[in-house]
Amino acid sequence: MCDIDLTFVDNCIDRIGKTPDKVLPILQAVQQNYGYLPQEALEKVCDITEITPASITGISTFYDQFRHQPAGKHIIKVCVGTACHVKGANLIYEAFRRYLGIADDKDTDPQKMFTVEKVACLGCCMLAPAVQIDDIIFGHLSNEHIPIVVKDFLEQETARQQKASTQDYADGKYFGEIRICLDSSCVASGSGKVYEALKTAVEQLGINVVVKSVGCPGMSFLAPIVEVVSANGTSFRYARIRPENAREIVLRHFKPRQIGRKIKNTASFMLDKILADRVGKPVTRYSIDVRDRPVTLFLEKQKHIATEHCGNINPIDLDEYLNNDGFKALEKCVKGMSSDDIISQIKLSGLRGRGGAGFQTSLKWTDVANNNAVKKYIVCNGDEGDPGAFMDRMLMESYPYRIIEGFTIAAYAIGAEEGHLYIRAEYPLAVKRITEAINKCRDKGFLGKNILGSDFCLDIKIVAGAGAFVCGEETALLASIEGKRGIPRLRPPYPSESGLWGKPTLINNVETYSLVPWIIRNGGKSFSALGSANSKGTKVFALAGKVSRGGLIEVPMGITIRQIVEEIGGGIGGDLAFKAVQIGGPSGGCVPASLSDTPVDYESLTAVGAIIGSGGLVVLDESDCMVDIARYFLEFTQYQSCGRCTFCRIGTRRMLDILERLCQGQGKPDDIDKLEELAIMIKQTSLCGLGKTAPNPVLSTIEYFRDEYLAHIEKKCPAGKCTALITYSVTDDCIGCTLCAQHCPVDAIPINPYSKHEIDTEKCIRCDTCRKICPENAIKVE
Amino acid sequence: MITLTIDNKTVQVPEGSTILDAANKLGIEIPSMCFLKDFAPSTSCMVCVVKVNDSDTLIPSCATLAAESMKVQSDIPHVIKARKTAIELLLSDHVGDCLGPCHVTCPAKMNIPLMIRQIAEGKFTDAIKTVKKDIPLPAVLGRICPAPCEKACRRSKADGPVSICLLKRFVADIDIESPESYLPEIAPSSGKHIAIIGAGPAGLSTAYYLAQKGHKCTVFDDHDKAGGMLRYGVDRQKLPHKVLDAEIALTMNSNIIFKNNTRIGSDISIEEVKKDFDAIFIATGTLDQEQAELLGLKLSSKGTVEINSETYQTENPKIFAGGNAISKTRLAVRSVAHGKEAANSIDLFLLNKLEPGAVVSEFNHRMKRLLEGEIETFMASADKTQRIEPSQVEVGFNSSEAKSDSHRCLHCDCRKVDSCKLKNAAQQFQAKSNQFDAPRKHFIQYYSHPDIIYEPGKCIDCGLCIQTAQKQKEGLGLTFIGRGFDVKVSVPFDKSIEQALKTAALSCAANCPTGALAPKHNDN
Repeated sequence: MCDIDLTFVDNCIDRIGKTPDKVLPILQAVQQNYGYLPQEALEKVCDITEITPASITGISTFYDQFRHQPAGKHIIKVCVGTACHVKGANLIYEAFRRYLGIADDKDTDPQKMFTVEKVACLGCCMLAPAVQIDDIIFGHLSNEHIPIVVKDFLEQETARQQKASTQDYADGKYFGEIRICLDSSCVASGSGKVYEALKTAVEQLGINVVVKSVGCPGMSFLAPIVEVVSANGTSFRYARIRPENAREIVLRHFKPRQIGRKIKNTASFMLDKILADRVGKPVTRYSIDVRDRPVTLFLEKQKHIATEHCGNINPIDLDEYLNNDGFKALEKCVKGMSSDDIISQIKLSGLRGRGGAGFQTSLKWTDVANNNAVKKYIVCNGDEGDPGAFMDRMLMESYPYRIIEGFTIAAYAIGAEEGHLYIRAEYPLAVKRITEAINKCRDKGFLGKNILGSDFCLDIKIVAGAGAFVCGEETALLASIEGKRGIPRLRPPYPSESGLWGKPTLINNVETYSLVPWIIRNGGKSFSALGSANSKGTKVFALAGKVSRGGLIEVPMGITIRQIVEEIGGGIGGDLAFKAVQIGGPSGGCVPASLSDTPVDYESLTAVGAIIGSGGLVVLDESDCMVDIARYFLEFTQYQSCGRCTFCRIGTRRMLDILERLCQGQGKPDDIDKLEELAIMIKQTSLCGLGKTAPNPVLSTIEYFRDEYLAHIEKKCPAGKCTALITYSVTDDCIGCTLCAQHCPVDAIPINPYSKHEIDTEKCIRCDTCRKICPENAIKVE
Repeated sequence: MITLTIDNKTVQVPEGSTILDAANKLGIEIPSMCFLKDFAPSTSCMVCVVKVNDSDTLIPSCATLAAESMKVQSDIPHVIKARKTAIELLLSDHVGDCLGPCHVTCPAKMNIPLMIRQIAEGKFTDAIKTVKKDIPLPAVLGRICPAPCEKACRRSKADGPVSICLLKRFVADIDIESPESYLPEIAPSSGKHIAIIGAGPAGLSTAYYLAQKGHKCTVFDDHDKAGGMLRYGVDRQKLPHKVLDAEIALTMNSNIIFKNNTRIGSDISIEEVKKDFDAIFIATGTLDQEQAELLGLKLSSKGTVEINSETYQTENPKIFAGGNAISKTRLAVRSVAHGKEAANSIDLFLLNKLEPGAVVSEFNHRMKRLLEGEIETFMASADKTQRIEPSQVEVGFNSSEAKSDSHRCLHCDCRKVDSCKLKNAAQQFQAKSNQFDAPRKHFIQYYSHPDIIYEPGKCIDCGLCIQTAQKQKEGLGLTFIGRGFDVKVSVPFDKSIEQALKTAALSCAANCPTGALAPKHNDN
């Protein structure tokens, strides 16, 4: 431990600064450099800065991002977000640990190659179950893929070291273009490799066509999606493309200089073959045409405002943004609208905060605008942390300029000259793109001094969060920017009165800001024409879980749950019945299928025990246990609670104790009453939104699925999910193929060729591998 | 000035005052644990919640500013229930005993660990005061008590219990022989007069405690001398009459009249006694049906006088009973305990305050069975010597033996048993320790600091110690570690508590609302 070179600490402090508010960036730099936070380095930081040992210890143990022990060479983050949870994330986590031979009390394998940890949500819900190894995401995993994934990662790692990627655009006459989304979830589906392959193919074939990266079209269930726009403007889309298909796709649409017709025909033939190619690899790939009915429906019910021009523009190409009405709204504001004009349009639009609580946006703006303080701040909340939500990540990755524009308009309206964009640590690409976009805006005069020739100045700083769900709460987020533990405080005073550093502060969510340019350009009335009585405009949702088509959707408020699930999501798919939708993540609730005609707006959802929240929408089917879902969310909130108020800190833990014993088959007759009583008390007495809403998943599942709770008290899990309450056995359909025996990770099935196999229930760990691998459906769970 | 109402009472406070300030001004007591004047409110414990303007939510009064025309409710069932739940949640995560297992097991509920600490420090006069608060006849019991306390002693899990009974006898014997034996203070006369029938351990005990409260007592006994079974039913070898006489003499004082050779029911009728006295305590020892009838009492099927088990009151509100008259198991220490507790009830009765719920037992949070490794934690702060036997069995411990044995005590009780805000609030709200059945955390104790003891399991995460250390400019100080349910207060960089608190230790202990940080040396 004594041989750590601490010169980095000196250099990093010189670069970042010595004041107490720099503690997060310093810790992030130290961890980036050493792979963890060596105590010597932290003590050194305290020696040479104004940061105290108490503060650095308190902060470095508050946020999940920081490690105090050395990790393996690579970190495997197993996403345990809602969508991944319902698709067996815990089994994947256990399987990784088994495969890598990690001891029970450790998180790293003996060779120190891989550290396995759980992460609240990677924001790739449609790839569920997903894991991230270093900065590469793998999706649609199942236990038997794990060796392939590890091997694949190590190969990619070697390849990446050899070749750095570059990006360039072809010049000259427009011959059409090939578009591909390079958002992290699409990259996780392999779009990065496809992008490289397309560029190579275009280069090798000598075709004058642009291969460009675009914002996510939202149909992530089909990622990676390649869209080919031919010279005449016709567009074709291909889904789930593999790198080896790149050449065929290029050849199908563009004529190479020297290659003849014969090859083109061959290419068509191969593509048709791909259509039927659905082998069980980590990601199944096939090609689809955008005009197919389901996909049309997928887009038809949607209305793109926050996600305007989705799939058509390159996220970080400023010129392209400008060509598509970009910064017209800002120009309109600074050149001819007063603060009152702008706020009255926002008021007219009926816009309400998209971060969860749904507070009238214009009221917040008015409060800060009317405050006579000399110094005011504006903050953007990009700390999306709900497991099962990824809207803000997609917006930041795909539409950084729109967020900046909306943010700048708000700053102008309230009279703030300093802004902070707080972005979740788990979203490195969002941080990268927003940073790049801000720099470009500054260069072009959309940010900085005298914006667009006016007197208005605005500078934006980016603050990378460090992994604490509670920092999504506004007062906690402000504390975090100030370099403190992210502890919410009692309101009032509200941030609009006393916010960052005690100054009046406007704080809105990413999506709220991104709706602003459209409202200004089209007028508040056009926005309020969309949506329902008290919930105007559109809302972006992350649709995931047991649905045929998942992804980012933007729909008018007031659309019903049924329309979202059946028409946009294409229903459940498979044989199982639609059971419920979990809306609003850990603060939300489960709306049963019987209430699926409920309109999706603030009031209607609250009335059925859910909330819009930040917009996570996870579809559940019959195989999902509602007690397990409630347990899952309480496990999340009790861990993510800041730990301040008694009710939230201990109360949620006591609720979890009860839910855990229900799932273990040790429930007691009065457990449901106890849960309800405690839930109501926690809601009424917690200081911040996290605690006030934490019991919602329990209350709504008790309301609609009380029979499942009762069944658990009787030691039964009707959905067959709770491992302590189920047993696996082999039915007479067994053909003795031995596949189950070969794949069982704990040797609970003796190999017995051509005879019916038996499962040793004592040894069985209920990992579900046998059931998934059995070609005859001969594994019974009860 | 701001005008608001709390519990329908109007009050004016300056701008910037909190609801708690306003309540204080009105004399409305709002309990709080994590709040301390001149400190930033932690808004952590949530015991001070109130309802404001009929809102559904409850808010902490310590940090909420009073506003014009605000309507605050602090005494409605909803608020009381929330406070009680907050306390019960804190208790569900609280590791440690308020009272030592010996203390709880002692039928007379004597504060044994305190007595032992006083002996260890050589403060024998303090020790006898501690003893006599609950046991008026310690020299007697020190010779004949079967010592259930020692069976509960945690040290018996290691190498044998502390010799509690002999220690008690030791301080009592010193006291008897002292020219200035301890005599309790006697309150001014109440003008009330109580008849006590029977001068055995129960009757003497009742007289001793009632007399201290200023009530006049006449003790009737049909024998020549006081002592009852102690004199006539115990082997003289074990309990020499010299000791018995001396100790009984010390229980007597100007408020107590002893009427020997007088039998109630034959010499004086019970009706007459009822007429002449404000209350009667039956401490006759075991009664048969005939004797009972003479006293106007009914016996239960078990052959004992029927009483309310909390108040010792019989069917006749004026008549109370204790000792062997109400119990079949003959145990002197239990009779003494009955006498003490009945004295308390009789006192309340005489003040017209003996209502249901008036007699409450002391709140006690218990750790129950030790987990693996915990006995070692307790042993770490105690002397490792084996249990000591007195060199002269018939004399008992000498001074050095007593001190040595007292150093073997593990001090399982909480050092802040009297000042702990959690215990006081739990007592006030009649909270249940086990309302939420939760797995218990391990008991941890840091004993290395010269001035304070740190027991993290008792921490309620209010952060007052962190603020205190910061205010006193401690270099290292304390900090919160982690988040959520697992958050804890600890020392930065895994350093020791001595390194963390060089000057602020005692202030931190004083500001800590529970026994998590407690002074090592104090009068408790």
